[in-house]
Amino acid sequence: MATRRGFLAGLMATGLTPKVSWADAGAPAYLAAAQLPDGAYNLFGLTDTGAEVFRLPLPDRGHAAAAHPTRPEAVAFARRPGTFAVVLDCAGGRIHATLEAPEGRHFYGHGAFSPGGDILFTPENDFENARGVIGMWDATAGYTRLGEFDSGGVGPHDTLLIPGTDVLAVANGGIETHPASGRAKLNIPMMQPNLSYVTIGGELLETVDLPRDYHKNSLRHLSVRADGLVAFAMQWQGDVTDSPALAGLHRRGGEMRFAMADAESHRRMQGYAGSVSFSDDGDRFAITSPRGGLVQVFSSDDAALVDTVESVDVCGVNAGPDGFLFTAGTGLISTPGMDLSRHAVAWDNHLVRIPSPVRA
Amino acid sequence: MLRNLLSGLALFVSAATASAYDIGTIIDRHVIPGYETLARRAVELDTAAQASCSADSHDLRAAYNAAFDAWVRVSHIRFGPSEDEDRAFALAFWPDTRGFTPRELATLIETEDPVIETQEEFSHVSIAARGFYAMEFLLYDPQFTAAEPEDYRCALVRAVARDIEANAEAILAGWQDGYAVVMLTAGENDTYRSREEAAQRFFGAVATGLQFTSDTRLGRPLGTFDRPRPNRAEARRSGRALRNVVLSLEGTRQLVRLLAEDSETVTDTLDAAYDRAFEQAKELEDDPVLEGVDDPQQRLKIEILQQNIDRIRELLGTSLGPLLGVGTGFNAMDGD
Repeated sequence: MATRRGFLAGLMATGLTPKVSWADAGAPAYLAAAQLPDGAYNLFGLTDTGAEVFRLPLPDRGHAAAAHPTRPEAVAFARRPGTFAVVLDCAGGRIHATLEAPEGRHFYGHGAFSPGGDILFTPENDFENARGVIGMWDATAGYTRLGEFDSGGVGPHDTLLIPGTDVLAVANGGIETHPASGRAKLNIPMMQPNLSYVTIGGELLETVDLPRDYHKNSLRHLSVRADGLVAFAMQWQGDVTDSPALAGLHRRGGEMRFAMADAESHRRMQGYAGSVSFSDDGDRFAITSPRGGLVQVFSSDDAALVDTVESVDVCGVNAGPDGFLFTAGTGLISTPGMDLSRHAVAWDNHLVRIPSPVRA
Repeated sequence: MLRNLLSGLALFVSAATASAYDIGTIIDRHVIPGYETLARRAVELDTAAQASCSADSHDLRAAYNAAFDAWVRVSHIRFGPSEDEDRAFALAFWPDTRGFTPRELATLIETEDPVIETQEEFSHVSIAARGFYAMEFLLYDPQFTAAEPEDYRCALVRAVARDIEANAEAILAGWQDGYAVVMLTAGENDTYRSREEAAQRFFGAVATGLQFTSDTRLGRPLGTFDRPRPNRAEARRSGRALRNVVLSLEGTRQLVRLLAEDSETVTDTLDAAYDRAFEQAKELEDDPVLEGVDDPQQRLKIEILQQNIDRIRELLGTSLGPLLGVGTGFNAMDGD
């Protein structure tokens, strides 16, 4: 364990000088997967106004992607229970590497890079043991498997690094699945989702369980602010009319704070938040409900509802110049105040922001 | 002029949708009779358990299977009263991927936990030790059929039967005493803002029920070709794995027919797809517990049954869904 940690620290410190940058891929601001009218799947690079910069073929339906912080590399994950991910060279338009989940593991569709981009972290299902793990891949050496550690719960769906730390926030959705049973949820009455904080050395620092009444609320998507505040989105697995809050905030060592709109607006979310993101200034955070065609925006200070935006089949959300940028299954890309463009594609669940280059 | 045109249009629209299905009919002919049968069979199970708690009692086993049949036929109606207080889970905790049921039952017996003495106390016991799957262990698994002390084993059988009865009656009462009205008055309450929402809820029940049968009832024992899992078949101890597949299909088919009422094309399309699944299930009659999953030829038959069910699910989305105004957004249908 100590050896691996030492090795990781060394790897993180090395910081290779990138030969190519995102500028070589047309300087996209976002990545998003989409289904084309002919049924094929592509990964798109988009500008901050939603214009297409590039598109690259994907072998199957995607979910989310991870953008390398410096090199123009995007890791596109198959949706769960997918066992592959492709690393796309977005400048050269080629597949740079392919990740194959180890025997007995599958991906959940999300992943996160270490700040320097040396290591890729992937939430995975150790499905024979119904145990969540975070896989580590060496992004400096063709994405070879480095190892894995416990995610702190069942069904780790999304993970993000807390900026400026070596700590990952992990959304353990709590739902047990097994590839032999497709996407069937096997443990709803017993599920216990949590938000865990785990160091990249695999040390579990903190587990924040949801309250008893929330145990069927699958906490599975995350956004993190520069100061470490975490926003999370949930999907209610009980009767939809009983759905409690679908979003919340947490800071390490603190209590969870839940964000719930008035009854009318809350009802329209249909117990389902598909994605979550802080705004560009971090003052607000948004959750999306494709089922309700509704975005709810909450204050990061007191978790009060401050805005709603309607967009049919909206799911992807990230920070944007106008606060947020949204993508929808209808092909629409919009901001809270404006429809920006409509593409002849169905945008898939998530909109991923490419880290902006560090200014001198 | 415009006003006349609009009101004429409104009339036309409501007439068109009104002819498609009737929520009252669905409740009167599907939901209530289904839960009434379940409640009646559950009372009979309780009575049988009081008369004889012996695991090999013919009457007790017959009553158990009759009540289980009634449950599976309504097991797709997973909203409203069935979800209050986790009643449906308390009736049917399966799959049990961690082996909670035998562990909880063994603990109760070992410690002779007095919690079984009253229904009120027993209703707080883990759902894994309650319901039809717990009863199956007590009646069919050698670990429990002759467990000692006998007095406690017998009392536990009776407690599980009594609890099944209580939950079955509570769900029925929930529908009769309020939830049926909530659905019937869709458009006048906050649970259902329109008739369409109520119909969509039933549609969702069919879709989820079929998915459970395909992915879980068949998918769990199928496992993978290299690693089939016959021991994961549902209710294999009582020989009910295939039976539950068929009963669940019967249950959703009845609801599909009521939802598709008056649309002959949709009814015919879905009926034909159901027929294919039932015919395929007949091919498997000599394998009631689906143990053939590890025999290549027999496995193929089970896989075809699964494909038949998936075909129904597909048709549900393409034919019945649009009829009921069910959204088919790329992300809305994804659920991830």
